Amino acid sequence: MSGTRTLQVLLTLGGMLAWAVQFTVVYGATSTLCARGWADATLFGLGVVPFTILTTTLAALAAAAILLVVCVRAERQSRDRPASATDRFLSHAGMLINGLSLVAILWNGVPAFILPACA
Amino acid sequence: MNVPELPKSFERPDAEFPNPVPRPEGELEALKRPWKAPRGLSFITAVNNTYVGLWYVGTALLFFVLAGILALIMRVQLASPESDFVSHDLYNQLFTMHGTVMMFLFAVPAVEAASVYLLPNMQAARDLPFPRLSAYAFWAYFVGGLVFFGTIFFGLAPNGGWFMYPPLTSTKYSPAENADWWLLGIGFIEISAIAGAIEIIVGVMKTRAVGMSLDKLPVYSWAMLVFAVMIVIGFPAIILGTLLLEMERAFDWPFFIAERGGDPLLWQHLFWFFGHPEVYIIFLPATGMVSMIVPTMAQTPLVGYRLVVLALIATGFLSFGLWVHHMFATGLPKMSLGFFSAASTAVAVPSGIQVFAWIATIASGRMKLTTPSLFIIGFLFVFTLGGLTGVMVAMAPFDWQAHDSYFVVAHLHYVLIGGMVFPLFAAIYYWVPVASKRALSERLGRWVFGLMFLGMNVTFLPMHITGLIGMPRRVYTYPVGMGWDELNLVSTIGAFMLAAGVALFVFDMARNFRLASEDNAGNVWNAGTLEWLPNGNYATRSIPAVVSREPLWDQPNLSKDVEDGRYYMPGTVTGGREALVTSPFDARPQYILQIPGPGWQPLLAAVFTAAFFLLLTVKFVFPAAICGVLALGCVIWWLWETDPGPIRPPADIGGGIVLPVYATGPMNHSWWAMIVLMVVMGMVFTCLIFSYLFLWLVNPGAWPPQGVRIPDWIWPALSAFLYCASVALVAVASRQLRGEDRRKPRSVPILIGVALLLVGGAAAVDLWAQWQTALSPSAHAYGAAVYAIMSLQIFLVLTTLVMGLYTIARWLAGKLDTVRRTTFDNTMLFWYYTAGQGLVALLVVHGFPRLTGGV
Repeated sequence: MSGTRTLQVLLTLGGMLAWAVQFTVVYGATSTLCARGWADATLFGLGVVPFTILTTTLAALAAAAILLVVCVRAERQSRDRPASATDRFLSHAGMLINGLSLVAILWNGVPAFILPACA
Repeated sequence: MNVPELPKSFERPDAEFPNPVPRPEGELEALKRPWKAPRGLSFITAVNNTYVGLWYVGTALLFFVLAGILALIMRVQLASPESDFVSHDLYNQLFTMHGTVMMFLFAVPAVEAASVYLLPNMQAARDLPFPRLSAYAFWAYFVGGLVFFGTIFFGLAPNGGWFMYPPLTSTKYSPAENADWWLLGIGFIEISAIAGAIEIIVGVMKTRAVGMSLDKLPVYSWAMLVFAVMIVIGFPAIILGTLLLEMERAFDWPFFIAERGGDPLLWQHLFWFFGHPEVYIIFLPATGMVSMIVPTMAQTPLVGYRLVVLALIATGFLSFGLWVHHMFATGLPKMSLGFFSAASTAVAVPSGIQVFAWIATIASGRMKLTTPSLFIIGFLFVFTLGGLTGVMVAMAPFDWQAHDSYFVVAHLHYVLIGGMVFPLFAAIYYWVPVASKRALSERLGRWVFGLMFLGMNVTFLPMHITGLIGMPRRVYTYPVGMGWDELNLVSTIGAFMLAAGVALFVFDMARNFRLASEDNAGNVWNAGTLEWLPNGNYATRSIPAVVSREPLWDQPNLSKDVEDGRYYMPGTVTGGREALVTSPFDARPQYILQIPGPGWQPLLAAVFTAAFFLLLTVKFVFPAAICGVLALGCVIWWLWETDPGPIRPPADIGGGIVLPVYATGPMNHSWWAMIVLMVVMGMVFTCLIFSYLFLWLVNPGAWPPQGVRIPDWIWPALSAFLYCASVALVAVASRQLRGEDRRKPRSVPILIGVALLLVGGAAAVDLWAQWQTALSPSAHAYGAAVYAIMSLQIFLVLTTLVMGLYTIARWLAGKLDTVRRTTFDNTMLFWYYTAGQGLVALLVVHGFPRLTGGV
């Protein structure tokens, strides 16, 4: 598998990978912080648990959004010049996957705003 | 090696064909000869996907019937209150076996088996890339599964529930061997599932029809690709879990014993990290089948192909974020539950996308109401209901109410029967004409569907209510007057209706299924995909170039042209079995793969592997060891015939494409398999590190516990140095294995030999370092975790040792040189992995306690 193809796969699946990283970090951090009694610790005026969730979610959203833009561009470009069917397919699939990832990431960050940190 | 460019004609289907007709005399006979199945007793050594696939599906259906009978016994027991049809203990074994057999011996093998049969046909490949591996996976499953099932007749069947929660299944509460049967029996059948998954990944990526680029891949292939990747990621968790629980039971290493720093919740995490994706692992192949059947029945292409592929991939990812929703009632922080609740509802989105895509396809065509169509309509109805109750139990507060009640039993049967069994029956009615001389009966089929559909709903719809009014799961009886009596009786009647449907299906199969080789019933549904091309044991006569997703609809006369040998590889160039390896994205031809034919090796290796694990269960350690050695011997005997080298110069496959008959490096199919295996090993290791960190988390102030000394840093440093040095020597050996002159003397075996000493030394140094601190693996979970990490590493080093010695033997036998070096490459990849894992293990075991300073 050539380098370009590897990059294409990463672009296509990137949003979902960002979701996976976000999920692992927020779950791991919440469990660790709560188990070690840092429920009430604060960072920049926010509880350390919501703060971690917020920053991780924003970072993952940014990553998925950038990938989405890259895929949209690649898709536009492939319309103008003769790209292979595989390239068109990958950029189109990438648009859909990264778009859905944005929703999944956002959705995953919601508990931070409605639930107490470590109850 | 240069990848041959596709000729221009490939873009223009109406241009000339790759090969002229008439074909030379004797070409077809020469193609048929190597693909013939052995006769007589040796027939069981056949490895063609067409035979192994069918045996595999048949065995899976046998387990479906057997586990169904167990369910009927349970339903008889529950039909009336205070019944004593079966005893309490037998009932425990019945529900444990029903769940275990349905999930591990029916559902996963059935979908894997179907793909062993279907995938190569659908992609116009001659066979899967590792036919003997499929045979091995099948026989291990067949022997192991039957013996495992047999334990129910001796009262030895596992009785701790299909998810085997400790402490109930730990030595204290389950001292007998029942639990060991589950841990060892199921543990190794999972290895067979992983072997199948590796086969499927390489098969989908590397052996396709020419021009079947990713955008033209059948949805079924996509589904199986995602399925196999999910197995590779998810199954290692349960393999590790069973290993840890078995080590706890056999050697008293307290991973799950709270008094000594363990935690039973660790098991639940490991089990459900596998267990929830498992649901999608069996559901996605079923949706892949549906996405093939619906377009045929509606005679129109699938609506929203890209969206369906997106849904498959997204489900593959999201389903790994759901596992804790089986643990909502364990008292985890609510915020944590929130994440899993969110992912559990999010995963309904991709499933919904698929459902709408099928409905849209049905709406845009004219659906013929055949038996497969009926099963699909039944699937849509039942699965959607199961999905809705799924969203209900995804809400933690509702789940706390419904947890462990019959509501959950109803939900999971709606999802599994609706989502997997109905599509599978649709698939059997749909694809039997490919494998059989006659199609199944449409008239009987309607009855089968009617009985199964009604029976299913009559059984499980009332269970929602039985559960909501309080009946708990897994009780062997219940008192009169709870208001559960009538509902249970209705469920029992429904179960027998369902069983009658299955019995009628078995009758239909017995009456109409007649194994075909070149005389199958043919394209009775006017389907558009390649499995409906005329085929024999050698698959299709020539390998077509395709330009769309439904080649049979869009390339008129394709069947005839393929059968006449107008397309690629219409004969055999090496005189043996061959497959065409294509590039993973664009499906351009890359090389001709020489694949092995029938042989006793995979069969014997599988039997001895099964014997090894099963004898260990009953603690016959010495006979088990003998069988283990014999299994290893058979595997080496089997491998010895592989890696044949370029036995002839590159050959013309038609259309001016000249391909080599051997390739090494990243293009090689076994390179891919090795990479996938490394991912499997990496996941086992990741789960082990997760377990280590989890145990740290539940042991504040005791990591390491009081009185335990961490070895001096000089020891891990020495061990790390030895790992690095051994890798360096292997890299030097790889460099030496280059150049034009194949016969030039080189020091490859010496380098490998020294590297083996170094890598063995690295593991020994680490073991010695822990040993001399007198760390006990059974005193505390800390020691158990450290020894578990070391044990896994020692296992890898021992495997490297065998592979290294094997590679040296290949060199000495003259079967390894600068061109014919696949064996070396595989050993090298594994070696790099072993060393890499060793370094991370050292870092964690010696670095982490120092970093946290015992906090």
